[in-house]
Amino acid sequence: MKDYILRRAGQSIITFFLAVTVNFFVFRMMPGSPLIALIDPRVPPESRLLIIDRFGLNRPLWEQFLLYFWNLFHGEFGISFYYSNTPVVDVILGRRLFNTVVLMGLSIALALIIGVIIGVKAASKRGTKTDVSATIFSLVTYSFPVFWIGLLVLLIFGYYLSLLPIGPTPAPGLRYASFFEYAVDYLRYLIGPLITLTLSFLGGYFLIMRNTILDIFTEDYMLTARAKGLSSRKILYTHAMKNAMLPMISIVALHMTYLIGGATMTETVFSWYGLGLLIFESVRAKDYPVLQGIFLLMTIVVIISNFIADLIYAYLDPRIRY
Amino acid sequence: MIKQEKTIPIRKFYKNMLWKKAKSFWVTYKTTKIGLTGLIMVLSFMFMAIFAPFITPYNPMKSVGEPLLPPSPSYLLGTDQLGRDIFSGLIYGTRISLMVGALASAISVLIGTMIGIISGYYGGLRDSLLMRITDTFIILPTLPMMLILVSFLGSGIHVIIIVTAVLVWTGTARMVRSQALSLKERPFVEATRAVGAHDFRIIFRHILPNTFPVIFANAILGIVDAILAEAGISFLGYGDPFYLSWGMILNYAQKAGALVTGRYWYMIPPGLCIMLLTAGFAFISHGLDQVLNPRLRRR
Repeated sequence: MKDYILRRAGQSIITFFLAVTVNFFVFRMMPGSPLIALIDPRVPPESRLLIIDRFGLNRPLWEQFLLYFWNLFHGEFGISFYYSNTPVVDVILGRRLFNTVVLMGLSIALALIIGVIIGVKAASKRGTKTDVSATIFSLVTYSFPVFWIGLLVLLIFGYYLSLLPIGPTPAPGLRYASFFEYAVDYLRYLIGPLITLTLSFLGGYFLIMRNTILDIFTEDYMLTARAKGLSSRKILYTHAMKNAMLPMISIVALHMTYLIGGATMTETVFSWYGLGLLIFESVRAKDYPVLQGIFLLMTIVVIISNFIADLIYAYLDPRIRY
Repeated sequence: MIKQEKTIPIRKFYKNMLWKKAKSFWVTYKTTKIGLTGLIMVLSFMFMAIFAPFITPYNPMKSVGEPLLPPSPSYLLGTDQLGRDIFSGLIYGTRISLMVGALASAISVLIGTMIGIISGYYGGLRDSLLMRITDTFIILPTLPMMLILVSFLGSGIHVIIIVTAVLVWTGTARMVRSQALSLKERPFVEATRAVGAHDFRIIFRHILPNTFPVIFANAILGIVDAILAEAGISFLGYGDPFYLSWGMILNYAQKAGALVTGRYWYMIPPGLCIMLLTAGFAFISHGLDQVLNPRLRRR
């Protein structure tokens, strides 16, 4: 077990350094390097000089790379090109991060619960109408264009039924009479993207759950359980479902990128004031420092959550710890 | 006297075996209703793509009427803000989606297979290195990365295809690697090595053909990813302006305010087409799964 943890930790660190390297070079090697953005008239000249000096943009590339690392370990992520004179950290952390974590956390959790329950049910009633219709539904939600479903939700619930607002998330400056009123309004904006994202995650979770359970049904220990005379309910929920949850752990760990990065498509369609929308806006404004900052944050979160998932996995399933 | 057994040339034997395999594959595949439905859906879209000039009344890129007309017998789905026939654009859009899907998936499967085979077959340092690179690509946020690369490199359709392929090969690589890992330990590979076959021959004659089912299933899912990626990128305004894809039509619809004016005939059909085509491929992949993964069939 100790060897396993050490090996996985080593691998995670290597992956982290590789990801940071990619993160650096993607933004530097591109035609129209950062200096193009700096020529942008919106950036005042004094802050331009400041940034050039601070990040050594006039120095050779390898030196910039080392400097980038040096700055990272000092918690220095740079200054946004677009939101002039605002440190990247302030742009990313705060309201946007909160909104994204709320939206993504809720939709992943909802999709997970629904997906697992329907998946177990469908697998246990294999080949019946329930199973086939649930499978078709999941295959469709697994492969639909998320942004279009968002548009559809807006068209039906926003335009025709006027239940949901068509417009951006409550602006930060808006004042409310009470916290309660604010919460209700927030919820109204949350529902549209929440439905869309839950649907988009649901299909994948269902299919994995169903297939894993079907796979487990062919294992010898299932035969043993049946031979012992356990009820099929007990076999399903304690033996099959418990084991089928293992692959889910690694899938959810991988989806932790979305928890931070948000779903760019959905957030853009609904103008949800989160990090996904920030990514889109930053791509348009060529705001590299902010993009690099978000990517770094996502990298760290997903590497850590993968590492934790592997530990849980190894703890629960001794076969992994070879 | 011993009766001489009839022999057939080895090449013919292989051909027969392949034919038999294909036949038994089709027999099993036919029984999966979902898979069959998917096949029909995809084939009808292919039909639409091939015969687009005969189905469509107008050139999709040319202005043929007043802008933003509602549906009418002469313009089945109305016209867009440039006066182009939406229905014609929709039919021609099938070509772009199928092309992007097929090419991007083919390239990504090629990359994934190469990395997976080298990693699994040779092992050691090469394996560790390639797998760390794969891990890095897995954690890269796909869509934001695509947006950034496309915004840097320009929104040509070839750029979109290559960028998609470069970002989605990881699944194939991992699966092919695990296949190669188990295949290289099998007796038949050992036997070929004992006869003196080179690595190159072992990989291309013995390991690669046996990983084919896995590669094929991955390629189908890759098509889904690629079609969705192209649609998303185009919808967000980074599509190739010279190719009127479904995502592009949706982008124009959004720009024309189709949502806030309730022009459902402008917004719904392109998305529905994307959904039906990708669902068709997902159904096929589900059918393949039933055939290729015998454990799912048993019980």
